[in-house]
Amino acid sequence: MARPMGPVRLRRTNYLTLSIGAILCVFIIYFLSHNGSTSQPANVTRSATRKPSAKSSLIVERPPVRRFNLNNVTITPDPIGNREAVLILTPMARFYQEYWDNLLKLQYPRELITLGFILPKNKEGNAATTALQAQITKTQKGPVKDRFRSIIIERQDFDPPLTSQDESERHKMENQKARRASMSRARNSLLFTTLGADTSWVLWLDSDIIETPPTLIQDLASHDKPIIVPNCYQRYIDSETGKPRERPYDFNSWQDSPTAQEIASKMGPDEIILEGYSEMATYRALMAYMAEKEDEKHLEVPLDGVGGTALLVKADVHRDGAMFPPFPFYHLIETEGFAKMARRLGWHATGLPNYKVISLYLYIV
Amino acid sequence: MMPRHHSSGFSNGYPRNTNTFDISPHRFQPRASTPAARRRRNLLTRLGIIAVVIVLIWFFIRPGSGTFTSLFSLGLLGSSGDVLMDTVRYYDLSNVQGTARGWEREERILLCVPLRDAEPHLNMMFSHLRNFTYPHHLIDLAFLVSDSKDRTLEVLVEKLEALQASEDPKLPYGEISIIEKDFGQKVNQDVESRHGFAAQASRRKLMAQARNWLLSATLRPYHSWVYWRDVDVETAPFTILEDLMRHNKDVIVPNVWRPLPDWLGGEQPYDLNSWQESETALALADTLDEDAVIVEGYAEYATWRPHLAYLRDPYGDPDMEMEIDGVGGVSILAKARVFRSGVHFPAFSFEKHAETEGFGKVIPIFLILQTHADSGFRWLNEMEAERLAKEAEEKEKQEREKKVKEQFSDTNAQWEQDKTQIQNLAKEAQKEREAESQQGSSQDSKAAADKVGEKSNNNQFRVEA
Repeated sequence: MARPMGPVRLRRTNYLTLSIGAILCVFIIYFLSHNGSTSQPANVTRSATRKPSAKSSLIVERPPVRRFNLNNVTITPDPIGNREAVLILTPMARFYQEYWDNLLKLQYPRELITLGFILPKNKEGNAATTALQAQITKTQKGPVKDRFRSIIIERQDFDPPLTSQDESERHKMENQKARRASMSRARNSLLFTTLGADTSWVLWLDSDIIETPPTLIQDLASHDKPIIVPNCYQRYIDSETGKPRERPYDFNSWQDSPTAQEIASKMGPDEIILEGYSEMATYRALMAYMAEKEDEKHLEVPLDGVGGTALLVKADVHRDGAMFPPFPFYHLIETEGFAKMARRLGWHATGLPNYKVISLYLYIV
Repeated sequence: MMPRHHSSGFSNGYPRNTNTFDISPHRFQPRASTPAARRRRNLLTRLGIIAVVIVLIWFFIRPGSGTFTSLFSLGLLGSSGDVLMDTVRYYDLSNVQGTARGWEREERILLCVPLRDAEPHLNMMFSHLRNFTYPHHLIDLAFLVSDSKDRTLEVLVEKLEALQASEDPKLPYGEISIIEKDFGQKVNQDVESRHGFAAQASRRKLMAQARNWLLSATLRPYHSWVYWRDVDVETAPFTILEDLMRHNKDVIVPNVWRPLPDWLGGEQPYDLNSWQESETALALADTLDEDAVIVEGYAEYATWRPHLAYLRDPYGDPDMEMEIDGVGGVSILAKARVFRSGVHFPAFSFEKHAETEGFGKVIPIFLILQTHADSGFRWLNEMEAERLAKEAEEKEKQEREKKVKEQFSDTNAQWEQDKTQIQNLAKEAQKEREAESQQGSSQDSKAAADKVGEKSNNNQFRVEA
C-alpha cells in the first residue's frame, strides 16, 4: 500500500524507557508484597518502637524467657580479666571530634563496651546527632573487632532550660540550678534506660573530655571504689607567655566544710549550694587544688561531692537507687547530690587528685 | 479541488510523460518483512519481559530466599544497615510519654513483679496474666526473684515458658526477663513477722532496694508505662491497666482492701501506705532521727494522715481521684518518664519514708481488694454478685475466720513485743551515736544540718501532674 509522505511517522520505541518501566514495576510489586519485614532499612534505626515490631509480633514473634543472674555479675579491680561489661554514658549538647577520637583510643575491649548518648531536641542537638551518627556509622561498619558492643542514642523528652550553650552563659550562677536540674534529668533518663542486667561499671564521660589516659577504665577500676573521680583539667594558651598551660576545671569534687554546712542550715528548702562562685564562699577542700605530684597518680582522697566530667561508678550503686537528684537534696543537686545520696545508701566517693583528664578549652570572655 | 490521483499524472500533479523511462521515484513499496536487526531486537525485548515475569514469580513462590531478593532490591544498603542496626539504636524519648489511650498508640508497658518465696501465689498471678485485656505483646514482663528458699524460680520459668508457647496467639507477652539477685534478707515474709512493727523499717528498705534493682535492670527507652504489681493480689479487674491509664496521671494507685468474714464487716483496708501528708506527721518526722522510717498503720506512730484506704464511699464513683503524697506498692501504674527522671524507691529513709511510700496521685474509690495469706482479693462493686456465685468459697472463709481470730488476738502482744524491741534498738542506736560523735564531730554537725534541711524538703517525691 502506498503511504503518503507527511508529518505522521511511526515513533520508534525507546528501549531504555521500557526497561526502566519494567524495573520499576518489579520494585513496586516487590515492596508491596514484602512490606513491613525488609522494606524499611533506612527507617528502622530511627523508629522508637522498632524492636518489638507490633504487627509482626502479633503473628509470629514470641520472645523467649530470658534469665539474668545478677549474683554472677562481678565488679572487681581486674575488669578485663573478668570480662566485665562497661557502660559509657555521655549527655551531649555538642559533638566534638576530639571527644570521639579520645573515646576510640581507650584500651578496653570494645566488645565489652556499651555507649549511651542523650541529646537535647533542638537545633544544636540535631546537628550533634548527625555528627555523632556519622562517626558511629564509620566505627560500627568497620572491622568487627573494632566495633562497640552496642550504642544507644536517645533524644531528651524535655527542653533544655537555656538556649545558649556558651561557656559564659552556662556558668552564670542564677542559671546553674535550672541547668543542672535539666542535666540531672538527662543523666537519669539515660542511666535508667541503658543500665543492663550484666553491666558492671558505669563510666560517666562528658562530651567535652578530649584527653584521658587510654587505660582510664582499668586504672580507675583497679582502685575498687564504688565511686571514683579523676581530676579534670583544662588546657589553655597563656595570653602572656603564649605557652599552653593547664588549669583546674571541675570544682564539683570536694570535701565538705563546716562553713558550707552552716550555709546549708540557713538556706531555704529549695536553695542549693554552688561551688566555685565568689558570692558563696564555702571553704570546702576542692580536689581541683589538691594535685601536687604527677608521679603519685594513684593517691586517693575521700570526697563528699563529685563532679560528672569523668566518673566511674559501680553499677550496684546506681541499682541501689543512687541517682542524680534534679531537686535540691540536702541543698545539693546533680552529681554533688548523687554523692550525697550514694552516701545515704552506704557508698562512699573517692577522688584521684593526681590522675588527670583534660577538658576542651573554650573561650571565656 | 483537483483530485490527486489522475490516470494522467503523478500524485504530485506532474503530468505523466509516456516518452520517458519511468522509474517512479515518488512511490514507496510496503516492506515485505521487518529487517533482521529489528526482529532480533524485538526478540530480545520479549525474552527480557519473560525473564522479569519469571523472576517475579520466583519472588512470590519463594519469599524466603532472602539473600537473592535482598541482592536484587538495593539489598546492598539493607544488609550493611543490618549490621549497624544490631548494635546501634536510636530512640526519641518524646515518643514514649504515655497517653490516656496507650493501647491505640501501641505504648509498651513494663510490668514489674518482685518475688520472694512466692511459689504458692504463682498460680493466681498467672491466671491474672492470662486475663489482662491490654494487648499482651505490648507488655514486657520483669520479675526479680530474690532470696527464695522454695521453688519460686523453677515454677516461674516453667509457667512463663508454657505461656509463651501457648496456642492462642494473643496470650504470649513481649519480652520477659527474670532477674535473680540475693540480697541476704533476714526478715521473714510471714504475715506476722512481715507486718511486725520492728521489722518494718528494715524490711521496707530491703524491698525498696529490690524494686530499684528490678527497675534499673529492665527499664528500656521504648517503655511508656511502668506497672508495679504485687504477686499476692487475688482479684483485680482484667481491664485494670486501661482503667488506670485512662486517668492519664503520672502515678496512680487503686485502693487496696482485703475481705474479711462478714462478722468483721466484710472487708478491711489493706494498703495503708497511700496517704496525704498531715501536720502531725511532719511534726513527728522532726522528732525522729535521720535513719528512722515512719510506718503507717501502727499505734506507735500516730500520724493522723488521711488514708486512701479509709477514704472510700461504697456507693461512690470508681473514677473519683484524689491527690496523695505517699503510695503503696501493691498496684502502681506510673509513666515511665517518672522513673526516667530519677524517681525511685528510696532504700534510705527520705523524709522518714521508705520503699513505695517515699515515692505519689490516687483514686480512692477505685477498688481492689487484697488478702495476703490465702484468698479473697476482689472488685468490690461486683462483690455481692460474686458472693452468691462463689458459695464454694465459704469453707475457705471459715478457715480464714479462725486465722483472723488468732491473728487478732495476739496483735496486742505483738505490739508490746515490738515496742520493747524498738526501745532496745533506740538505746543501742543512742550508744552507737555517742561512740561515733567521739570519732568524728563533723559527721554530727552534718546530721544536724541535714535535719533542718529535711523538714522543709518533704515534697520532693510528690509527683506533679
